[in-house]
Amino acid sequence: MLTSIVKRDGRVVIYDRNKIKMAVLKAMEACNNTDFEKADEIAVAVEDYFNSKKTDNTPSVEEIQDRVEIELMSHGLEAVAKHYILYRASRSNIRERNTKLMQVFDEITFSDAVDSDVKRENANIDGDTPMGTMLKYGSEGAKDYYLKFLLSPDQAQAHKDGYIHIHDFDFYALTTTCCQIDLIKLFKGGFSTGHGFLREPNDIQSYSALACIAIQSNQNDQHGGQSIVNFDYGLADGVKKTYRKLYLKNIAKVGEVLGEDISYDQIKEISMDVTEKCGAIPTITPNAEYIKLELEALKKVFKDPENAVKAQNFALKKTEEETDKATYQAMEALIHNLNTMHSRAGAQTPFSSINYGMDTSDEGRMIMKNVLLATEAGLGHGETPIFPIQIFRVKEGVNYNPGDKNYDLFQLAIKVSAKRLFPNFSFQDAPFNLKYYNPKDVRTEVGYMGCRTRVVGNTYDPENEITYGRGNLSFTSINLPRLAIEAKGNEDVFYNSLKKYIDLCVKQLLDRFAIQKKKKVKNFPFLMGQGVWLGSDNLGYDDEVGEVLKHGTLSVGFIGLAEALTALYGKHHGESEESQKKGLEIIGYMRKVLDDYSEKYKLNFSLLATPAEGLSGRFVRMDKKRFGEIKGITDKEYYTNSFHVPVAYEISAFDKINIEAPYHELTNGGHITYVELDGDISQNLEAFESVVRCMKEAGIGYGAINHPVDRDPVCGYNGIIGDVCPRCGRRDGEGVSLEKLQKLGLYKHLNASTLGQCGNQLEEADRIPNSL
Amino acid sequence: MKYNPETNLVGEGVKFERIRRITGYLVGTVDRFNDGKRAEERDRVKHCTAK
Repeated sequence: MLTSIVKRDGRVVIYDRNKIKMAVLKAMEACNNTDFEKADEIAVAVEDYFNSKKTDNTPSVEEIQDRVEIELMSHGLEAVAKHYILYRASRSNIRERNTKLMQVFDEITFSDAVDSDVKRENANIDGDTPMGTMLKYGSEGAKDYYLKFLLSPDQAQAHKDGYIHIHDFDFYALTTTCCQIDLIKLFKGGFSTGHGFLREPNDIQSYSALACIAIQSNQNDQHGGQSIVNFDYGLADGVKKTYRKLYLKNIAKVGEVLGEDISYDQIKEISMDVTEKCGAIPTITPNAEYIKLELEALKKVFKDPENAVKAQNFALKKTEEETDKATYQAMEALIHNLNTMHSRAGAQTPFSSINYGMDTSDEGRMIMKNVLLATEAGLGHGETPIFPIQIFRVKEGVNYNPGDKNYDLFQLAIKVSAKRLFPNFSFQDAPFNLKYYNPKDVRTEVGYMGCRTRVVGNTYDPENEITYGRGNLSFTSINLPRLAIEAKGNEDVFYNSLKKYIDLCVKQLLDRFAIQKKKKVKNFPFLMGQGVWLGSDNLGYDDEVGEVLKHGTLSVGFIGLAEALTALYGKHHGESEESQKKGLEIIGYMRKVLDDYSEKYKLNFSLLATPAEGLSGRFVRMDKKRFGEIKGITDKEYYTNSFHVPVAYEISAFDKINIEAPYHELTNGGHITYVELDGDISQNLEAFESVVRCMKEAGIGYGAINHPVDRDPVCGYNGIIGDVCPRCGRRDGEGVSLEKLQKLGLYKHLNASTLGQCGNQLEEADRIPNSL
Repeated sequence: MKYNPETNLVGEGVKFERIRRITGYLVGTVDRFNDGKRAEERDRVKHCTAK
């Protein structure tokens, strides 16, 4: 007996003949058919059909409707059937339109980013461009698919309900997060990006261009940031090669000027002979043996041996400054390049970071000095470069104290950071970083990603506790405030809940890893195909990458420790020592659980102080809906990042640093501490340095200093701007009179058609109108 | 930068660039931040460097 049917959402409801009758009657009305008894006949016919079927399966709505169509046609009611079918199809369409995904697509298509939070999920993608929009469609579509088909029900539920957040969910089945690129290894012997081979570069310009290509190519294989782990060591070779080339060219040029009949190739050959004899090449700090042997050889081939002396002296005197200039230009080009190429899914520049600080060679120092100076100078109109994120490795004995070889670079880094917000500072002497450091092996210098990800320990392969060629595989964060609110002040309940969700996240990370493991080298043509990832150079094109991926980290993250502590104990850790104690217990506990899992699986589970861009708003919005507005917890539009003291809490830099420092040790997957400074800190570098030193002494692993960096595009002023520009006096959006600007020395010649569009204001001031 | 000959003013409608750090990356304008990060940036207080 036909007693029940299954609705589209899975519910089983009582069968009602009237529903079929009404639907048929509607279709009949549309064709001006008024034979109402027929509608009843059809309904009965449909019932009979299902009653006669042998199976016990409850029929679905779709099956019932299919049968109605057949009965209508076999009863000769073709016109009615047609209307019935069309109406059914349009209902289907409307249902489809109302699904979450399609509503999101509506928002993507029709709203401007200014009105749509979805379109502003990633601040570095312009959500209003075609490529930005296309990326959003793909991203939302993929997330919908994964949610329905790739997550287990409890994982999907936990993610949807906001207990956990699976990051970069749109790339779930596709790839891994990030990698620290070793330039020396990559450049050796040249490399390929899949469209032709790039020879090992031979001067600093090529080194710099190829470094950008490496970042760009790798960005196409992964969804996260790309970092160069050895920016100083890696590009130093380029400086060396350029120096040598320019040195030999100088000798040849002087020879020519003095009337000698000798070519560059000959000079080069002589040099190579000398190198074979003594093992040295021309370098910034000259090798005495090389100089001596070269001079002897030159004197033999020059007509006048005095000319040989002159030529070599000139080269020794001039080449370093030429190399310095060439290096500066290469660094300037690199920074411009990394700020303008839109090669991450065609919609944004790659998230690039560079680590440097420890190379004490002349060439490494020249790289560092010039990248800092180029950063200070800014982009074409003096704007602050947004990429790459620069991380200066602070290390006692190398650059931290006066007398250390690179102390001058540390000072320069401070000066530049006080103006440009970069570099950030990583601390090699933090105990949890220092323990991996072996002065004889540069690969043990800890490298951070710009976003804060840290990969150095290696449970899978303790022989390779290095940063080079490794990165994060994926990460999932836990909503600590939610668990704390639900615990209603009961610590045991909270910890049980916490354990449950860590376990869930670990299981989910392993499930995602299972998909990632099955990928082949050919799915990562650059990352694996060119041997960038640790261990991948031993793999063939069709080999699975599972084993070597184990060098990566599987991270469990968290957000809102401050709000969680407020929920459990009434105060956050910035305002209460007791809460600080409790906070360390909670994070310490999470770390212990993950360490145990690492041991159990011989994988690299790590605890991450999640960066949290979109997540900062998502969780609090859901919790506000669930629990209402709770003071100090859900009464803001965001949750405080990771273990940070709340941004609105008044606290000194010193106290904030000391409260947050112990959490760095616990969050082995990555961490950062920020300090907000007021005023124009470039006028008080001592204060800036004192903050950096405080971080180092407190055991911070990675830190950055925020200060306002404003610029007025009209007059070019760079500094702090409140409501009024200090140089030209205009307000935001207002115009300023031409006279006023001219009094400031700008736009002197009023070339109206190119005003502000070509060159910069100072150059424009110098333009003289061309007379006819 | 448009010069408006009618008003004799330069730069009408041109906003100041305010570089801010969000999730570690510098962004040239708050306009592209999502709502949560925008709210957080508004709330940020300064930390004094006196010990």
